[in-house]
Amino acid sequence: MSTIRPLRERLGKEWLFCDGGTGTILQEMGLKGGELPETWNLTRPDDIRKLNRAYFEAGSNIVNTNTFGANPIKFANCEELVKAAVKICREARSEAGRDDDAYVAIDVGPTGKLLEPMGDLSFEDAVDCFKTIIKAGCEAGGDLVLIETMSDAYEAKAAVIAAHETCDLPVIVTMVYGEDGTLLTGSTVEGAVAMLEGLKVDAIGVNCGFGPKQMLPIVERITKVSSTPVVVNPNAGLPRTENGRTVFDVAPDEFAEVMTQISSLGVQVMGGCCGTTPAHIKALISAVSPLPFKEAEEKDICMVSGFSSCAVIGLKPVVIGERINPTGKKRFKQALRDNDTDYILTEGLNQEEAGADILDVNVGLPEIDEPQMMQDIIMKLQSVTGLPLQLDSTDPVALERGMRIYNGKPMINSVNGKKESIEAVMPLVAKYGGVLVGLSLDEDGIPDTSDGRIRVAKKIYEAADRYGIPRKDIVIDGLAMTISSEPTSAIVTLDTIRRIRDELKGKSILGVSNISFGLPARELINSNFLTMAMTNGLSCAIINPINGPMMASVRSFKALMNLDPQCGGFIAAYQDYVPGQTQTAGPGKASSAISSDKFSLSEAVEKGVAGRAAEAMQEKLDKGGKALEIIDTDLIPALDKVGKGFESGKIFLPQLLMSADAAKAAFEVVKKSMAGTRTESKGRMILATVKGDIHDIGKNIVKVMLENYGYDVIDLGKDVPPEVIVETAVKEDIRLVGMSALMTTTVVSMEETIKLLREKKPHTKVVVGGAVMTQEYADKIGADCYAKDAMATVRYADLVFGN
Amino acid sequence: MPLTRDIPRSEALRYLGMGKSVTPDPDTLALLDSCAETLTRESVPKSVCKEVSIAVTDSEVLIEDTKIQSTGLARNLKCCKKAVLLAVTIGPACDRLVKRAQVRSNLEGAIYQALGAAAVEDYIDQIDEKIRTDYEGEGLYARPRFSPGYGDLKLEHQKDWFRILDITKNTGITLLDSLLMVPTKSVTAIIGLASEPSNEQRHNCEDCSMANTCSFSKRKEIT
Repeated sequence: MSTIRPLRERLGKEWLFCDGGTGTILQEMGLKGGELPETWNLTRPDDIRKLNRAYFEAGSNIVNTNTFGANPIKFANCEELVKAAVKICREARSEAGRDDDAYVAIDVGPTGKLLEPMGDLSFEDAVDCFKTIIKAGCEAGGDLVLIETMSDAYEAKAAVIAAHETCDLPVIVTMVYGEDGTLLTGSTVEGAVAMLEGLKVDAIGVNCGFGPKQMLPIVERITKVSSTPVVVNPNAGLPRTENGRTVFDVAPDEFAEVMTQISSLGVQVMGGCCGTTPAHIKALISAVSPLPFKEAEEKDICMVSGFSSCAVIGLKPVVIGERINPTGKKRFKQALRDNDTDYILTEGLNQEEAGADILDVNVGLPEIDEPQMMQDIIMKLQSVTGLPLQLDSTDPVALERGMRIYNGKPMINSVNGKKESIEAVMPLVAKYGGVLVGLSLDEDGIPDTSDGRIRVAKKIYEAADRYGIPRKDIVIDGLAMTISSEPTSAIVTLDTIRRIRDELKGKSILGVSNISFGLPARELINSNFLTMAMTNGLSCAIINPINGPMMASVRSFKALMNLDPQCGGFIAAYQDYVPGQTQTAGPGKASSAISSDKFSLSEAVEKGVAGRAAEAMQEKLDKGGKALEIIDTDLIPALDKVGKGFESGKIFLPQLLMSADAAKAAFEVVKKSMAGTRTESKGRMILATVKGDIHDIGKNIVKVMLENYGYDVIDLGKDVPPEVIVETAVKEDIRLVGMSALMTTTVVSMEETIKLLREKKPHTKVVVGGAVMTQEYADKIGADCYAKDAMATVRYADLVFGN
Repeated sequence: MPLTRDIPRSEALRYLGMGKSVTPDPDTLALLDSCAETLTRESVPKSVCKEVSIAVTDSEVLIEDTKIQSTGLARNLKCCKKAVLLAVTIGPACDRLVKRAQVRSNLEGAIYQALGAAAVEDYIDQIDEKIRTDYEGEGLYARPRFSPGYGDLKLEHQKDWFRILDITKNTGITLLDSLLMVPTKSVTAIIGLASEPSNEQRHNCEDCSMANTCSFSKRKEIT
């Protein structure tokens, strides 16, 4: 039998060639539009064998099984289809006499479903789905896993994890980009490469979408950043419809010619996709194989990525926003306890707007389930910001949960020189990928000299090496300690940073503000220390980007050191600078412009001026006003006035929302002042958008209105199964449940929920709303109340709770 | 490619509950403009169309090999032998902008929502117009477009549209189990082609199951 060399020994060391199109050829063999090609593995195996064999005979080293769409979501007999396909492909290889040098690739395409949070397929369900395919393929004797035509980097990540957790076979991933080099879901070429390299795939590339000519610029971008072998499998040109059929125009010779150009960019594996035939592959092989082969070069690029943007560490100082962290913040702790994610997300968005490149995420609090919170917050943050995140926890379980669910290549904070820490954290980074922060401390504590810290840093580099984490993905924390108790601490830290750069050729990070702990006017020390640290080579600064002097230090440094072309960033940030005034970056610009009007609290809420509403609330509290009294005498009457105007048709939705936003801002001030103490509420209720429905904007509006009226809302989110709603109602002893549905098809879930609720908790009232809801419908499904809008829901809550 | 046509503000305002008779305040208008600018820039519209042969009876339409029960659609496609199936989206940006805005401002969230709805309608109108003109050259007259979910055309048929047009691969739109589409600002439709012009109107409230409760219903305005 075959004495074939393992693929890993050859991949990236010599020219290898994939096969070409499958679907287009099957169509010529008689596959009907809408017919699923994978069914042919069972019904027409001879035709599939013929197709596979033609590619082996054309010279392909890697031939895909006919399993592109063979997933358990589409096929109940997925495993049977996959096994049959692998068997057919192996037989074709033998028939072609290629047992000694060609490989059978278990072809894995996208599931066709969209992953949460945007879609309805959970990450773990996606992983399981891919595992089913890959396991069947392995058992039948596949030689590698080829994950292709992925338009969502997140789904590709699920597939890679599935492959690695199922087998040791080599894994190749090719994505399908738009012409601008972004995936349909928003990630860039560079971001996808960073993520896939972190996941340690064996080769990375691009397929489908368009022809070789249009693919050239994308291949250039891949080869510029990839240290991993690169695969290029284009279509035979752009698809065109002719008499209702899709046709491709690029002939084999022309295809081969453009592919020779691409081959010189530093590509190691080539083949084709839609519209290419064995003739294309044959022409490609004879044109490219005589050409000089170049191995993929090691690129010294340290990159992290979020779902849509990347940050390169080491070229210029990178700002990591520190605000998502409960340490020393009463209000933040309260938000974690109350599961008040909007507060946490707001901290993220404010920092992004103030100029953060990466957001640190620390959600550790003894009384909460940190791993679950880490997972939830990461998913929610990544659905509102494209920035890369730094997962910050001392709990390896929380880190792993975060790393697994993370969309992109994260930064991990942190490991230290202790054996226990290395053994807990490094295997995770080796598996999921990430840029790892290494604290320069170990079993002996924090060394008080730079010699000691450099020694620990070296130890961390060596350990990373053992675990197969690239050196470029390590960032050493030089440890900033307060100068108020240790007079030489800044000197030691700066020396450490400089030596990390000069002696270790490494990258560094500091939690900058620790330097001034216990001193007054901390931002003065902090911002000056930051400049000194950057001058000594600091790569990453963990700071509060909302603080004006800190960002001024970063922006000035970049402008001074020629790291800000034409001082563009500096000018954009400070063109309206007024000397002598405290500069604060961040949000609230738009509202503060009109908030100079000295509206009273109720006027500000009525007119919908959020900045002024918050300010007026603060003034009242400062004067000794009692929060609840102010809410009752100022806030709610103002909201009521607007609400009545809305109900009578004199005021419209935008003004109602503007007032609601203003009241929310005022409430935020109250929450801040009362954080840590129990607040009295008018009643607790549940809100949820029912199972199957993802339109939650109406529900969110209702939530804000209810909260503004003093109700405590447990927001279960969207697409919520009946059981979850009912269990929560029972567990929390809830008297009122509000549900929304946008589509007639999802009203059914509402009915199910009501039925289950009546059974388990008969005295709880139900209020329903949503675009398709009517009084008639509400009666039919057994709801207690139909609320036509947010105000109507408030009125009903008042009735239920007797307010 | 971002959106090429200015998002119709009056449509967006109508979705926000401010019809033609209402004069919006300057703050709302300013916010509407700045959100429209962002949405226009970040949207990536995509579409897929396919001409299909159809056979129509009183209550059934055969699209290629797919049978569809619907008197509403059958009436809409009466006398048509051919039709164009289409799916369009303005891309995922709108959904993210809504989510992002809602964290801090419900008003901004609602505005993106309304602008997105107006934008995708306007985008499909453009494609609709083009199909109309192209086929008029061939002597075929386009019927008002009809979508799964209209009248008695069950939403379940979204699956047929997705299969026949290979919508996910061609546009990035995915269909959830609940038959909703993501990006949410997406539309699927069929446009019948007949050899005679007809005077049937689009937005025909007679066909709509929501006509009695819909705040936008034309019937209510007429009767």
